[in-house]
Amino acid sequence: MTSSDNPIPPKPFNPAPAFIAVWFAVLWASCLGLDISFTDLLTGMDDMGEYLSRYGTPDFSDLSRYLELLAQTVAIAVCGTFLAITFSILLAPTAARNLTIGPLAYRAAREILNFMRAMPDLLLALVFVAALGLGPLPGVIALGIHTAGFLGKFFAECLERVDPGVIEAMEASGAGRTQTLMYAGWPSILREAAGYSLYIMDRNIRMATVLGLVGAGGIGLALHDTLRLFEYNEAAALIIVIFVTLLAFDYISSWIRKKIS
Amino acid sequence: MAKINMCGVRKTFGNGHTALKEMDTEFQTGTFTVILGPSGAGKSTLLRLVNGLEPLTSGEITVDGIPVRGKNLKKIRGDVGMIFQQFNLIGRLNVMTNVLVGRLWNRPWLTSVLYLFGREDRAIAEKVLMRVGLAEKAWERADRLSGGQQQRVGIARALAQEPRVILADEPVASLDPVTGDNIMQILREICDRDKITMIVNLHQVDLAKRYADRVIGLNAGEIVFDGTPKLLDSSILSHIYRRNSVVKETTPDALLAYA
Amino acid sequence: MPSWPTRSGLPPAGVITTLMITATILLWAAPRAEMDPLRLFRSLPSLLDFAGKILVMPEWEYLPRLGQKMAETVMITILATSIALAASIPLGILAARNTSPHPVVFHATRSLLSAVRALPELVWALVFVSAVGLGPLPGVMALALVTMGFMPKFFAESFEVVDPHPIEGVVAHGANWLQVRLYGYLPLAMPDCIGTTIYILDHNLRSAAILGIVGAGGIGYDMVMAVRLFDYDRLLLIALSIYFIVTLLDRASDRLRAKVT
Ligand SMILES: Nc1ncnc2c1ncn2[C@@H]1O[C@H](COP(=O)(O)OP(=O)(O)OP(=O)(O)O)[C@@H](O)[C@H]1O
Ligand SMILES: [Mg+2]
Repeated sequence: MTSSDNPIPPKPFNPAPAFIAVWFAVLWASCLGLDISFTDLLTGMDDMGEYLSRYGTPDFSDLSRYLELLAQTVAIAVCGTFLAITFSILLAPTAARNLTIGPLAYRAAREILNFMRAMPDLLLALVFVAALGLGPLPGVIALGIHTAGFLGKFFAECLERVDPGVIEAMEASGAGRTQTLMYAGWPSILREAAGYSLYIMDRNIRMATVLGLVGAGGIGLALHDTLRLFEYNEAAALIIVIFVTLLAFDYISSWIRKKIS
Repeated sequence: MAKINMCGVRKTFGNGHTALKEMDTEFQTGTFTVILGPSGAGKSTLLRLVNGLEPLTSGEITVDGIPVRGKNLKKIRGDVGMIFQQFNLIGRLNVMTNVLVGRLWNRPWLTSVLYLFGREDRAIAEKVLMRVGLAEKAWERADRLSGGQQQRVGIARALAQEPRVILADEPVASLDPVTGDNIMQILREICDRDKITMIVNLHQVDLAKRYADRVIGLNAGEIVFDGTPKLLDSSILSHIYRRNSVVKETTPDALLAYA
Repeated sequence: MPSWPTRSGLPPAGVITTLMITATILLWAAPRAEMDPLRLFRSLPSLLDFAGKILVMPEWEYLPRLGQKMAETVMITILATSIALAASIPLGILAARNTSPHPVVFHATRSLLSAVRALPELVWALVFVSAVGLGPLPGVMALALVTMGFMPKFFAESFEVVDPHPIEGVVAHGANWLQVRLYGYLPLAMPDCIGTTIYILDHNLRSAAILGIVGAGGIGYDMVMAVRLFDYDRLLLIALSIYFIVTLLDRASDRLRAKVT
């Protein structure tokens, strides 16, 4: 039998066009649902140029105050990250399948971490401001709880990848759970954990700049106030200060991360 | 220094596969026993039972009269050192710390968690490192050493426990023949000098003949040979390594466990 | 005298310096962030008191509006992510070392991207709200803009690890510059890029949930108002629904990502 006897079989069904069509339908529906009209957007572009020109002359006269707020912002992020690392060091081993205490504890730890991750940090900040009053402390707690969810899950996944043979060798020599963790667990994942903690630190500095919007300290409140009072020049200065700081920390942290990996 | 007693030992895994069936035997103080047998015969399982890494299904194992279970486990594991095919060292820590892991079982909790060790522990670690000829590597990271050196650290770690029994699961399978022979010499010397009861799983019949006092042939979870290595001839070896009995009794579940 | 397992018997130099640096940073940060263990301890009763207030019967009459606001949040997420996705493929090609037309273009695009993603979406939302007024539009704009800083960078990283051999095959058959990218790099990096997109969708949902804090649409606005007006029964419902939908998407995206990569 020669191959020419067989016609090419019919093309199998390709879901991609249907998928793309559905996607566009969803986008269209979303535009309708959100009342966004693109013609308005285009005509609005002219005004946008005028609007942006209001930021034209940044006013740095209050710079020393901004820098102080900035320092507080960074401090909030540092403390929040510290809190998150502490929480996750305590929770992650229980949330790692190979080092957990029992199936029930494992599930509980995982669910706690999930919950912490699911709650947006600004919602937490809002709640803690209502409970503890205005100031940076609610911001610290909010960042700490939310990012502990991320870090804890990540640490747990790293711990689960530790060579089971090494853990078994620890058990075979009569080491307890905490000893196994201190000798076989944490040392094996130190590098990855440090890299990810830095990443979280970076992220927390970004978030700390907006915590002030809900009264949880930092530079965000100042920005909010200047915009509400239409002080565009001060706002421009604040945005520049925030921008430069975040860019600097982004470079520093990616440089350190490159170094340790 | 210790006698191991196995009485009616049976091990069935969660998937229903019986890896060891009704095993009765003893290991006398200070003897060097080699266990031979095809893959899947249950050699590793046997060693893991002695150390309590796997729970027994039925029967009893005692080390110097103390049953291997529950509350005794920490004490037993302190008395029973274990050596692994893949060495299982903590790569990121230095050789000294890896050896000191052998001391953890009788260190106070708090100081050991802070990596603090007493002077006696340090002295023991130095002594055993010297004994396996690795004193000059004490401060190297463990994963920087060659395979043979890593296995010697593994032996030092077991020795640091000041054990009465050493279990070695294919200690030379990842090493070249000369290095492997060297490791076996060290194990034999430890057995002779310290009167440590030694149980070694091997796949190399020549090494068994050269170093063992006693050879146990294991096949499909049963002892099919037990005697001095002098008795090992080709008919006995083919009896030990015969495959059909394994295949005959394998259930689909067990086949899956093989895969 | 117990000692550490090092040559000198002291902890390793790296550990000592790390601990000292950490301690110094914390000592600098803690007072600025009002992180005072004593204050934390003293605020415990007010926290418990507040928890008691929050754990009330949810306000069921609020459900229909909640559904509408959550739908709005999801629509903002989808719209913003899709807009960013459309821009991210060309930008990603320009920002990858191996697909960029010129090293200068590569470096310029990378710098542009890190500048775009430096400021958090809430800062942009604040600016856009003051430009185009309250509503979901400034939210979509802010979220899309910041996503445009992240997504092309991730895409570019996926292009950079594409196996060069199949690419050579495409080049060898005379494909031009664009064809090599469309028929070589893009399909090869596709699974990675889909994974990234799902991850960003997940991340953007969390962001969209808080955009409303500055009046940029979604559930965030109701969240702030619930706290301001002490509507804790409503707050509970909002928090639960965010937890629910974020967890749902989180699980779904974990599964989807495992499937495509
Ligand atoms: N945790 C487990 N769960 C289920 N079955 C297992 C488990 N561990 C081992 N087995 C099965 O028990 C049998 C004995 O395994 P064991 O590892 O003791 O063999 P072995 O003699 O050491 O083999 P090898 O020479 O290949 O190391 C095998 O059939 C194996 O598949
Ligand atoms: Mg084995």
